[in-house]
Amino acid sequence: MKQGWEHAKQIFVNAIGVAPDERLRFVERECSGNEALYNEVKSLLDSYKDDSFLETPAVTQLAETLSFDTPELTSEQSFGHFKIIRQLGKGGMGEVYLAEDTKLSRKVAIKVLNKRIGAHADNIERFTREARAASALNHPNILVIHETGEADKAKYIVSEFVDGQTLREFLKGSPISVSTVLDIAIQIASALTAAHGEHIIHRDIKPENMMVRPDGLVKVLDFGLAKLMTGGPALVGSEGPTQIHNQTAKGMILGTVNYMSPEQAKGERVDERTDIFSLGALIYEMVAGRPPFEGDSLSETFANLIKAEPAPLSQYAENLPIELHKIVTKLLKKNRDERYQKMLDVLSDLRELRDNLAFDDRLERSKSARDGGQPAEISNDSSSKLQANTFGGKRRIWMITAVFALVVLAGSLGAYYLFSNRSRPPAPSERKTLAILPFVNSSQDPNVEYLSDGITENIINSLSQVSGLKVMSRNSSFRFKDDQNDVQGIASKLGVENVITGDIKQLGDRLVINVHLIDATDDSQIWGNQYVRSSSDIFAVQTEIASEVAQYLRVRLTDNETQLLKKRYTDNVEAYQLYLRGKYSWNKHTLEDVRKSIDYYDQSLEKDPNYALAYSGLSAAYGVLGNNYLPPREAFPKAKTYAAKALEIDDTLAEAHGAMAAVDLYYDWDLTEAEKQLKRAEELDPDLSQIYLLDADRLEILGRFDEAARKRKRALEIEPLLPQFNFVAGATSYLAGQYDDAITQLEKTVELEPRYYQTYLFLGNAYEQKGMYAKAIDAYERGITQGHRGPDLVAALGHVYALEDERDKAEKALAELRKMSSAGYVSPYWFAVVYAGLNDREQTLAWLEKAYQERSNPLIWLNVEPQFKPLRGDVRFQNLVKRIGL
Amino acid sequence: MKNPDPTSREITAMLRQWEKGDRTALEELMPLVYDELHKQAARYLRRERADHTLQTTALIHEAFLKLVGQREARWESRTHFFAIAAQAMRRILIDHARAKHQAKRGGANITLALDDVEPVSGGNERDVDLLALDQALGRLAKIDEQQVRIVELRYFGGLNLEETAAALGISRATVVRDWSVAKTWLRRELTR
Repeated sequence: MKQGWEHAKQIFVNAIGVAPDERLRFVERECSGNEALYNEVKSLLDSYKDDSFLETPAVTQLAETLSFDTPELTSEQSFGHFKIIRQLGKGGMGEVYLAEDTKLSRKVAIKVLNKRIGAHADNIERFTREARAASALNHPNILVIHETGEADKAKYIVSEFVDGQTLREFLKGSPISVSTVLDIAIQIASALTAAHGEHIIHRDIKPENMMVRPDGLVKVLDFGLAKLMTGGPALVGSEGPTQIHNQTAKGMILGTVNYMSPEQAKGERVDERTDIFSLGALIYEMVAGRPPFEGDSLSETFANLIKAEPAPLSQYAENLPIELHKIVTKLLKKNRDERYQKMLDVLSDLRELRDNLAFDDRLERSKSARDGGQPAEISNDSSSKLQANTFGGKRRIWMITAVFALVVLAGSLGAYYLFSNRSRPPAPSERKTLAILPFVNSSQDPNVEYLSDGITENIINSLSQVSGLKVMSRNSSFRFKDDQNDVQGIASKLGVENVITGDIKQLGDRLVINVHLIDATDDSQIWGNQYVRSSSDIFAVQTEIASEVAQYLRVRLTDNETQLLKKRYTDNVEAYQLYLRGKYSWNKHTLEDVRKSIDYYDQSLEKDPNYALAYSGLSAAYGVLGNNYLPPREAFPKAKTYAAKALEIDDTLAEAHGAMAAVDLYYDWDLTEAEKQLKRAEELDPDLSQIYLLDADRLEILGRFDEAARKRKRALEIEPLLPQFNFVAGATSYLAGQYDDAITQLEKTVELEPRYYQTYLFLGNAYEQKGMYAKAIDAYERGITQGHRGPDLVAALGHVYALEDERDKAEKALAELRKMSSAGYVSPYWFAVVYAGLNDREQTLAWLEKAYQERSNPLIWLNVEPQFKPLRGDVRFQNLVKRIGL
Repeated sequence: MKNPDPTSREITAMLRQWEKGDRTALEELMPLVYDELHKQAARYLRRERADHTLQTTALIHEAFLKLVGQREARWESRTHFFAIAAQAMRRILIDHARAKHQAKRGGANITLALDDVEPVSGGNERDVDLLALDQALGRLAKIDEQQVRIVELRYFGGLNLEETAAALGISRATVVRDWSVAKTWLRRELTR
């Protein structure tokens, strides 16, 4: 056998030296009819492959095999407040599991430390300190450390669960395009820029420490964790030389020399420029398929690193942009003084290159589209695995007329309309301006609309809390729900420089969210990303998007803002989704929709009984009902209970204080208490426009019109595009008796937004007071033509006809009001309005008294409403005003 | 290593015996090397080296210095020591793989190149079933012992081509050729 083997071996070795397609013929010839020999050689040739098989020494396994005393957790097993799902991996440090955090019902990765390592007090202290440092890094490309702790006598670290593969694994796949290389490099550089900003050096940049998610997001791992190991990250400038055990004998280097900087390999003191070098090695490998200094042995690699120049990158990739070559060369300078000095500069250059390539690419595409040719690719690889930077358009497929419904219906709802719509005061010039346009629901399923709206709203709310950003309010942004094609036009209308557009699709249990951040000054995309998540990760993805946007706009976050971005009001996904559905329905403001919203909020609270926002939502919903659709006594006590409940759970919720203030104002008629709540709400969230409207109402009632006008102006600053706000300004002028001003403002409002019916009501009111009855009738009729035949406009018409002495038409209005009250709730106040026009004092007072008994909200303006001016001398009227508490 | 271990002289002597072809010297040396390597590896772990790839050469170096001492360390004995150490490493790894295999009867194969974040099993073409490899090496030893030594030195000992050539006293070209053949042969065995 041995002899046969020698022969076979010889033929095999020779055959390898022959061109592949000649080999079999060669073997056939050499074996000259010896079938057994031929088969042996052929089967060897079939197995022949020049790859990494057995090239990595087996000892890498030693760390793992020696760590068998780590607690091995099995699935379903409980570990502290975690339930183990499955093991993700293991190493000398310990084992990593996918687990469910049963307290917060979210998936996490939990690393259980090897007991031997955990047994050293020094290690533990260093470990916790570093974990703390790492958790201070809030960056979308850095693995989030949730907590550290101890259970079953084992130390553990909990981090977010990244469902993806290491960059090492990723690189094993098909070759990647230049744009993908850049995309990954930019994300890593971005993470390291943030870390260096916090004086943390990673020091162990290598493909194994990067995770790539299927959606293309890259996460840098082992910040803080690696510190426990020598060669881990250190505080910039505060760390001694890297510990490499090369003092006693040559070739005794532990660690990943392939990515080490020369100074690190030599055991010198390192600073952030070591990461800059390592990033260069990483980019080099992504392009070349091998690390820059790789040698046949460790010592050779070492020598190469210190002395040799890497083979030029262009040798590995055709059409490699010369700029990329330049960047990598500068990253890999052996003398760190010649390297890039700051990671931020690396990041800028990488981004610029990406943007230029993308621009060229688009230019090419548009050229070839014009020429009828095929679009050109940035690289030869058209099947890039990463689709992170798609510049493709997203077209709206299905859209409801929510904005129209909102605008038309919202008017009668008073300040409730503006519940929880946040935004920012006008920006100091250094603040970045941003509008987040409503995410498009591309599911073709109208039932997912609540999700697209809800996510948009949450991102608006999150980013509104960032002081470096001026974010357009929901109301302003949602005006463009139906037409987002002209991003630059929208941006100029809103006065913002940056715009976010997005779309969301639900595929089974997966959510696919595309986000684009656009610089509206030149319509270029600053950043884009696709997130593929399971529905249960909806909180995390919103936080992620908000953080990434802040990051890409280069806005610095304070610690508090970082916390606020992460703040969640519930951890129950179902509760949250039901809340979103409720909010979505509520925003439409029809009776039916408000009832639906109550139903959703109730269901939401079944899932999470401590969900303060849902209580606040319920309060607002009942408030709308009490102001418009139901006898106040039926609705407002509930509104009050729920507001109180919300405050009991979370006293720092501005929305809840606003909800309580509305109850105080519209139902309890307790202006002092309302003022207190509003003050508190303003402290908590000075950008909640609703509170200024409520406060303006309060000041109007008190006859403090100038102050009220200022509050309205403040609200208008927050919501520059809402006609309602022009209207309320006109209404204040009307109440203040400045009818000409009122007419000017209201006519302008009508021009801007003809669909908003309540403008016509106050416009008619103002004309009435000027004695221009025909104009007033025309105004009311126009309001009714806009689709709203409500008690207020009907009563207003009756009132002006009565003033014109057209009694039968006034009577007709009364009859219509009576008919309306048999179908639903109509406030007695509107009857009083018509009787006031008829100059029927007894009936007017009787209906006002009835409205008082029912605690109908328009009564609070009784003392300032010009329509009731003739009654102001009447003792009974004065008595009523007094009883109302005015 | 200013004061080599008292036994280092003996060990050096045994190495020399072995170099001269005394097989019994190897039998005596092996357990010592095995224990020392095992200890060194464990010590590295205690030194929190875990995340970094443990370099075999480093381990063996340390074991060599421990057992033989720097003063006694001639280049030849070092290369010969490597040959023994590579075999010892093979045993250490196979013993652990076997222990693990038994512990999780029917469980996943023991795989190589595990990093902290790499998956436990599956998909990785570099993953090698150590126990199967050991058996295949046993079969290979029957037809080509030199190739087995090369695999031991390269794969278990972590030596580069030159070091392997030096340790076996053969040319680099032969190592290159036999290494390639051995890998092909083993791959065929493992995929059968």
